[in-house]
Amino acid sequence: MLIKVPVSWLREYVEIPISIDELALKLHMSSTEVKGVERPWWGEKVRVGRIAKLAKHPNADKLLLATVDYGEGRTKTVVTGATNLVEGAIVPYADEGAEIIDGHTGERTILRGKPMRGIQSEGMVLSSKELGLGEDHEGIRILDRDLPVGAVLREVLGETILALEVQPNRPDCLGVVGIGREVSALLGTRLMEPALDRLPERAPKGLDVRIDDEVACPRFAAALLTGVHIGPSPTWMQERLIAAGMRPIDNVVDITNYVMLELGQPLHAYDHRQLRDGVLVARAARRGETIRTLDGIDRVLPERTLVIADGQRALGIAGILGGEDSEIRADTTTVALECASFEPRRIGRTTADLNLHGSSGSAAARRFAWELSPEAVPLALARACRLLREHAGAQLEGVVDRYPQPRPRVNVRMHFSDMPRVLGIEVAPEETLDILRRLQFTVAADGDTLIATPPAVRTDIAIAEDIVEEVGRIAGYDRLPTRVPDGPLPLAERHPFEDFRERARDALVGFGLQEIVAYSLIDPAWLGMLKADDGDCIAPEPLRVINPTTVAQSAARSTLRASLLDTARRNLRQRTSLAIFEIAPVYIPRRGDLPDERTTIAILLAGDASPVKEGETWLVGNRKWDVRDIHGIVQGLADLLRVATRGEEAPAPGMHPGRSLALTDGGITHLIWGQLDPRVAGMWELPDETFIAEIDLVSWHRAAQTVKIAPPPRYPAARRDLAVVVSETTRYADVEAAIRSAAGRELESLGLLDVYRGAQIGEGRKSFAVRLVLRSPTTTLADADVDRVVRRIAGRLQHEVSATIR
Amino acid sequence: MAGQDLKALADRAATEIAAAADEAALEASRVRYLGRKEGALSEATKKLASLPPPERPAYGAAVNDAKIRIEKALEAREAALRDAALARELGQEREDLSLPPRRVRLGRLHPISQTMREVSRIFATLGFETVEGPEIEWDYYNFEALNIPPGHPAREKWQTLWISNPLGDDPSRPILGRTHTSPMQVRIMEERRPPIRVVIPGRCYRYEATDAIRESIFFQYEGLAIDEKLTMADLKGTLYAFARQVFGSDRKIRFRVDYFPFTEPSAEIAFDCFACEGKDPNCHVCGGDGWIEAAGCGMVHPDVLRRVGYDPTRYQGFAFGGGIERIAMLKTGAPDIRLFYQNDIRYLEQF
Repeated sequence: MLIKVPVSWLREYVEIPISIDELALKLHMSSTEVKGVERPWWGEKVRVGRIAKLAKHPNADKLLLATVDYGEGRTKTVVTGATNLVEGAIVPYADEGAEIIDGHTGERTILRGKPMRGIQSEGMVLSSKELGLGEDHEGIRILDRDLPVGAVLREVLGETILALEVQPNRPDCLGVVGIGREVSALLGTRLMEPALDRLPERAPKGLDVRIDDEVACPRFAAALLTGVHIGPSPTWMQERLIAAGMRPIDNVVDITNYVMLELGQPLHAYDHRQLRDGVLVARAARRGETIRTLDGIDRVLPERTLVIADGQRALGIAGILGGEDSEIRADTTTVALECASFEPRRIGRTTADLNLHGSSGSAAARRFAWELSPEAVPLALARACRLLREHAGAQLEGVVDRYPQPRPRVNVRMHFSDMPRVLGIEVAPEETLDILRRLQFTVAADGDTLIATPPAVRTDIAIAEDIVEEVGRIAGYDRLPTRVPDGPLPLAERHPFEDFRERARDALVGFGLQEIVAYSLIDPAWLGMLKADDGDCIAPEPLRVINPTTVAQSAARSTLRASLLDTARRNLRQRTSLAIFEIAPVYIPRRGDLPDERTTIAILLAGDASPVKEGETWLVGNRKWDVRDIHGIVQGLADLLRVATRGEEAPAPGMHPGRSLALTDGGITHLIWGQLDPRVAGMWELPDETFIAEIDLVSWHRAAQTVKIAPPPRYPAARRDLAVVVSETTRYADVEAAIRSAAGRELESLGLLDVYRGAQIGEGRKSFAVRLVLRSPTTTLADADVDRVVRRIAGRLQHEVSATIR
Repeated sequence: MAGQDLKALADRAATEIAAAADEAALEASRVRYLGRKEGALSEATKKLASLPPPERPAYGAAVNDAKIRIEKALEAREAALRDAALARELGQEREDLSLPPRRVRLGRLHPISQTMREVSRIFATLGFETVEGPEIEWDYYNFEALNIPPGHPAREKWQTLWISNPLGDDPSRPILGRTHTSPMQVRIMEERRPPIRVVIPGRCYRYEATDAIRESIFFQYEGLAIDEKLTMADLKGTLYAFARQVFGSDRKIRFRVDYFPFTEPSAEIAFDCFACEGKDPNCHVCGGDGWIEAAGCGMVHPDVLRRVGYDPTRYQGFAFGGGIERIAMLKTGAPDIRLFYQNDIRYLEQF
């Protein structure tokens, strides 16, 4: 939680003999993250001025001419409408060009001199609002008479503020005093206690407190104060509240907030007139119970909500939001002041139920969601009573404090040797004890044994490691040596799938493709843009994000295709050639289990295959990617990974029906490649000729073969070219299958030289010119041997695919 | 002709052949000395028959020597002339090599992949095995097993994207996009016995507004080492060793206090800002303080060890977790984390 601590406030509780920047660094390194040190933003042109002379404006009844002395004899004439000025008053003066806050818009602005009713105003005397110190814009801010005239204002007025990020284990640091305790431990300077009024033992007449749910409300105290005069709180208090990020309201509310900012413990003040039966009760909301909260909203309370009620109705949501009925009003004279402890998770759940989460929640609710110490309750109450007496004329009539199950004190029993055991360095016992005492721990040592009792406000200390951290951080982590772990190295496991995946990644990069990494959460509407017709989606119904940050990231993708097409679309707006791939899991839902995260490869080719560099056609000409390119990449990848791409051929949804292929094996489609359906391409503003491939890498890994390494062949190969003339409808695969089965083991390789169509072979026929490479492992093949194989092939081709050999 | 005369003949021939200017001159010399009809050596051979038998062997040998010498000289000169001709010819085949080449299409790994590999490689040198785990995770592993039960205020540190399964949700076992790689600490410890040294790179999710240094979908690496005597000094040394290998020894590093519910004590390691080197109070990368958080870390909390069945009086160790993109940005000066996921090739091809 971000808190703002004005340094002057902190100095009330602890001496700071070093610069604020040095202090900030020490806090940041050893205690509380420092988000920033904020200083007044007024520049050199805002100075301390003195009203040397005050005269009526000759042309306007409601305006004055003030002559302002701002040091070294310099004076300027200022036109002002303020009514609170007198000669000799010390005021903030802004010269032309100074940065101030515009009193009307609230925005920062640069001051320009301007004529007002015929007289040039050469500068400005400023209100609190124009300095950003408050809301007051009625009159000019009157400064302390002792301030030196001419001084740069930010050097004599205004506050340096530490912006601190307090971690949720340290609710004790949510107040100025808690930070003071840390500073005291870090610097070894004394911590001052807040000024308190002693709380009387007697219960007040006309106010009682009852706890109906001791788990939800472990401690509940209340004070009754009479004779209260409602009015504004003192200026210094208002300024500190503003500096800490709160809005001043009236003296009673401001004091409860001030004490919260000091001690971390929220309080709530009720107008005692509104309390029926003179009692405050912490109880669960009744079915259908409603309340109008301070924000003016009528709320129906969920049944388990803890409320603070009087004898008849709910007054507020405990620890979270007060009710409008019982709020402090201008004519309030008797105040019931609540100071209680609530179970933090219950507070967290209720803020969630009421949608008052995070920064939208009240400052009190955010503090109560942390484990505040019940021991802070009497302290905060006593502090508030003191301030109410001093600044609201309140008289304390009595206090009632219900604390049925006092929290046991924590005593951590440990050994001094735990320091080197955990930290890796020795910390001398004297230093250990000194650090703990500075942190207000009670310590007792006996030999190696140490018993440490944290101060009552600390709720984060339970085990020896907690004490080790306290000592280690205050001693400073820069004292830890850097050591590389020794000891036996664990035996590492093999990761064959990950190795396989990385070989695929390297292979595709080697083929010249650019890898992409897209968001794994996508717009679910994208899944509807992957098919031309209204049929089923190409991928399973995806997992959904219940609370997406944007609809564009609200479904866990069950296919990589949409991300790939989106990436292609955006890139093709500024380039003519694209060859990309992604390797990532898709998330396939499983009933009653986490999804199957299946690693998948997706590849896309679109636009120019050449030139590689735009416009550079002189050696390579122009060529577009085609379906043979995507096939080549798939085949090359399969060959490198030693995967035999087998399976049943099936239609590939979302793809060009005549130029794509899907292979399924055991019901799983492990490979799709070909041309994207041009209608789908159109939806993504992609060229008709867009080619993609998708590979289920898990299936491929299962199908990968281990290789048997053989020496290179010893005998020469024989080469023979054949022209196989077949009908136009005959597929090459059938020709190849026939040749392979007829040739047997001696066929080392089969290459397609050319496909020819023309008058010489007749209408409706085509000729595959192929090269056979034949080799025997045991002998040099003679011409007669080769002839015999070729005859066998010719016979088989004729029989199986009605081919003739030319 | 006596033996001496034959030697003189061979000398003369060799000199003449070595001086032959071209193929034609060389051929003329060959005919003059070795020609069947008129050649000087043919003449000498013919004379052999007319010699008295005792002189014939010596004379015959002399003729043969002369012939071999002349042939060798012819061969040598012929080769020299051929080389010279070839060199002349090659000298005329001149290409303008300043013309662009036949281009090779260059594929590149995405910077995230490059960085994840580098992280794994470096930790491998420190004995850490790379392991991966699920991105979509049970609440139990992401939070509860790490001392963050429902309602714990620390959950605010890890704003969560909650996931719904189209095949049905079980309200007692919520699932989420893992908010960090730390759930793998628990999964690994459930599967293995110490000693353990693993590093886990992987994708994570947060319910968070994005800006130049924060993404709601991002990559982390997690480290876990468990043994009998590991200390905070080992943790610090491991991270320093890692940082030196990634960034070189001139990057400044610091180690400060931090809080995580599943480590005690906890710390944070930060590097000095690559963008402003601590000189720009309005730096958009470090926010002006000159340091960039690189990893959270600490000693694994005894409760976490106990929950996976380890005896915390015997085993202890450390864990750490940091951002992959952060490393890529620190290393390369890449300005904005979101650019990694826009996949504009003009950006990616710079890595």
